[in-house]
Amino acid sequence: MQTVTITVNGEAFKEAVPERLLLVDFLRERLALTGTHVSCTYEGVCGACTVHLDGDAVKSCLILAVQADGHEVTTVEGLAKGEELSALQKAFREEHGLQCGFCTPGILMNMTDFLKHNPNPTDDEIRMGLIGNLCRCTGYVHIVRAVRTAAKMLAASAA
Amino acid sequence: MENQLKENTQWMGARLERKEDLRLVTGQGKYLADIVLPGMLHAVFVRSEYAHAKILGIDTSAALETPGVVAVLTGDDFKTDVKSMRQPVLLPNLPAVYPEYFALATDKVKYHGDPIAVVIARDKYTAEDAAELVIVDYEELPVILDAEAALEPGAPQVHDDQPGNEMFAMTFTGGATEEEQRQNEAEVEAIFKAADVVVSNRFRVHRTGITPMEPRGVLCEWTMADGLTAWITTQRPHIDRLALIDILDVPGEKVRVIAPRDQGGGFGVKAPFFRENVVIAHAARKLGKPVRWIESRYESLMSVGQERDQVNTMDVAATKDGKLLAVRNRGIANNGTGQTGVYWGFVMPFLGQVEMPNVYTWEKGDVKLRVASTNKACLTPSRAFGHFPTRFAVERSVDMVARRCGLEPSDVRRKNMIPKLPYTTVTGEYYDSGDFLKVWDNLLTNIDLPAFRREQAALREQGRYIGIGFACGAELSGVASELLVPMENQPGYGAATVRVDPRGKVMIYGGDAPGGQGHETTVAQVVASTFGIDPKDSIVTTGDTGATPFGAGTIGARAGSYFVSAVHKACADLKEKITHVLSHDLDIRATVEEFAFINGEVIYLRDPSKKKTFREIVERIIMFPVNLPEGEVGGLEATAFFEAAKPMICFNGDFCIVEVDINTGEFKIKRWVTSEDVGNVINQNIVDGQMHGAIVQGLSNAVYEEFIYNEQGQQMTADFENYKLATAADVPDIELTYASTPCVHTPLGTRGIGEGRPSSVPGALSNAICDALAPFGVEITELPLRPSSLWAKIKAARA
Repeated sequence: MQTVTITVNGEAFKEAVPERLLLVDFLRERLALTGTHVSCTYEGVCGACTVHLDGDAVKSCLILAVQADGHEVTTVEGLAKGEELSALQKAFREEHGLQCGFCTPGILMNMTDFLKHNPNPTDDEIRMGLIGNLCRCTGYVHIVRAVRTAAKMLAASAA
Repeated sequence: MENQLKENTQWMGARLERKEDLRLVTGQGKYLADIVLPGMLHAVFVRSEYAHAKILGIDTSAALETPGVVAVLTGDDFKTDVKSMRQPVLLPNLPAVYPEYFALATDKVKYHGDPIAVVIARDKYTAEDAAELVIVDYEELPVILDAEAALEPGAPQVHDDQPGNEMFAMTFTGGATEEEQRQNEAEVEAIFKAADVVVSNRFRVHRTGITPMEPRGVLCEWTMADGLTAWITTQRPHIDRLALIDILDVPGEKVRVIAPRDQGGGFGVKAPFFRENVVIAHAARKLGKPVRWIESRYESLMSVGQERDQVNTMDVAATKDGKLLAVRNRGIANNGTGQTGVYWGFVMPFLGQVEMPNVYTWEKGDVKLRVASTNKACLTPSRAFGHFPTRFAVERSVDMVARRCGLEPSDVRRKNMIPKLPYTTVTGEYYDSGDFLKVWDNLLTNIDLPAFRREQAALREQGRYIGIGFACGAELSGVASELLVPMENQPGYGAATVRVDPRGKVMIYGGDAPGGQGHETTVAQVVASTFGIDPKDSIVTTGDTGATPFGAGTIGARAGSYFVSAVHKACADLKEKITHVLSHDLDIRATVEEFAFINGEVIYLRDPSKKKTFREIVERIIMFPVNLPEGEVGGLEATAFFEAAKPMICFNGDFCIVEVDINTGEFKIKRWVTSEDVGNVINQNIVDGQMHGAIVQGLSNAVYEEFIYNEQGQQMTADFENYKLATAADVPDIELTYASTPCVHTPLGTRGIGEGRPSSVPGALSNAICDALAPFGVEITELPLRPSSLWAKIKAARA
């Protein structure tokens, strides 16, 4: 066991954790933040567990909770500011960018990071940006459209 | 949503934002793995390392000694304490040889991944550790993996009670008696003998399917007073409940099944009744504590989501001007062990042959199927249920006929398309309504074919190879009792309870259990249209057998046809009552047709000053049931069942354009265009999304995914590194167009859509590749479409 302090969505949690506890299990089981999902079961392929570690998108099944000690984590629960959804969250609703929603939290986290570095992406760039996220329902068409729409929303609000 | 409120409150067809999405984009969805009960234990399965072996002994002592482990159960516990999985509620009404099996393997294991034991511990890490300590003593048995070899005399036996490994065999044409069938075969043979053109091929489609992103899971709680509450990732909670009652041998009032409101996709994979349900329920009963199992991806890819896996030897006879005359098909399906309730694997290839003739006016057909048991995982339903391989075969055959006749494949399709509906095919499938030619002609407006041929010829001069491929498909729109009773021993009707709330809100209860199809939104739009209220005033509950009317499940595109029609019918019944009371209160004599339900009001059309708000009148009927018309009582709730007069279909045509690099065999899809008949649309976004998803699933199956077993029957592709799903970068944008005809058998003219949709994809894609490679005479007869195998074909053709 090791004592860690991890700040999640702005709140600091001091917890004793086994060394082998995965960050995704820490979030889901210790903190009951169940928006972060497990699909490929800890292989880092599906992207459903993507969160931000100090602002960068990472797969939380490939990180131990102890590695996040002293760091800031943001999960999908932390994207909205109160009741105000982020541009991507709004765009996913508008463009019907999700069906079952299981992959969606990971995609939102990955694409939030992506848009920070690529504010005006082409469709091909969006598709390349999504290769770390598997989706089975949408055929990705509306996801690409939603990311494009979010980019426009962000550009408009920055202007 | 305010800005979406339309003047006339007609919500049909609107691109309404989904009611589901606010919780799903904020991480507040509630999937099975998110449900936690106090004191809950965690289960991990020990699964077979061999494809076929006797179990000589199981040593659970080390696992049991692990601190935190509560119990280890093995097959013996299930052979004595519960009944076998072969219960009547889980048996189709089809004459198959059904092997007996139990929730955990007893005596021997039959595929790599067969569940042998379950370890239950206080936390999942401990359960995982302890499962590694269970030692199984095996005696290996000869493995049989190939379906044709399995049907040969002397092949290793998968099941002791299924001699010859033949699970199921059927003739689909000619009549009920063997004599009629022989006569039909002779008549078909005569057509072939006289035909100008005969195309004969052996089509092989690999083992693949639709793997949902959320794996399976079961959480069971058992109390002395109430019995079992089982949360299951399932498309058919009511059927699961019946199966649990029968297998666990407990009274029906003691079993409640809940499919979580949020499920991470189903696509058929969550439609069967699985052994793990029984194991977890029994463990909860035995231990008196809640027990939860969440399937790992490794287990999932070993056990479920495997479909297709057929060989179809198909002959097609045609005239030299491209008129299709007869089709003869001999299908052989590799069923795996067949150990899955409801479908037993073979129901999919069965329906695959029924749907094989597609939309062509064959004069005659001669169609037979054999289904073999092997030491692979049992086939599980996967969207395009059973007919992904047969549709591929028939759509490829049509193109080969066109090539032999020197005709455009699109012309040959149009020439042979059923011109007028209804129509019954050579395998007896009923096509109810629609206009295939309208859909096809609409598809062709999206391409200037002569110009494409000129471009193709010009590029070939430069050593570039582009091609266009067409395909089409009639798909089931819901499954009528007429088909579902014989096929799955289950009713096909849609069922819905509509409960009006005194505050003017409407609660809808459905027995089906969606997994991302947007039922909450679709149903709210139907209710809003019918009652003239806002969709935000509807709340839909699905999946809880304790609260919903009986439904056969979210299967076969039933929502847009059966479920919404039942909702509409229940609303219509309530409108009768509302207007009856309102007429009485307004002191007029009027029928329901003389009232409009619009913008939250109920208005007497002959004198629009006579009206009440929807809320006023429903509150009056529910809360103040005095001074009612004679014979009327208070309350506003109705349950309705909907069964269409006839089975229904939807239809689509596709074309795609590809470019093939003849030096590498790599190909790129440049366009994918469709034309759809989906009937009247309730939510255009949801319909579009269903089509996009289905087409990309078809592409992913046809090009990327493949379950591979090695010669010992070891599953080599049980993770997403090796079982490759298409990513966003692998697939094209999809151009959808519509040419719909309202369905005549549903009250709103809607059709159920999306289920069979992937089936036309492999035909269109391989037809395009073959069109591109026509100068080399390359013909594709096998999937998956890998650049390496294409390259080999091109190389052979150029040699």
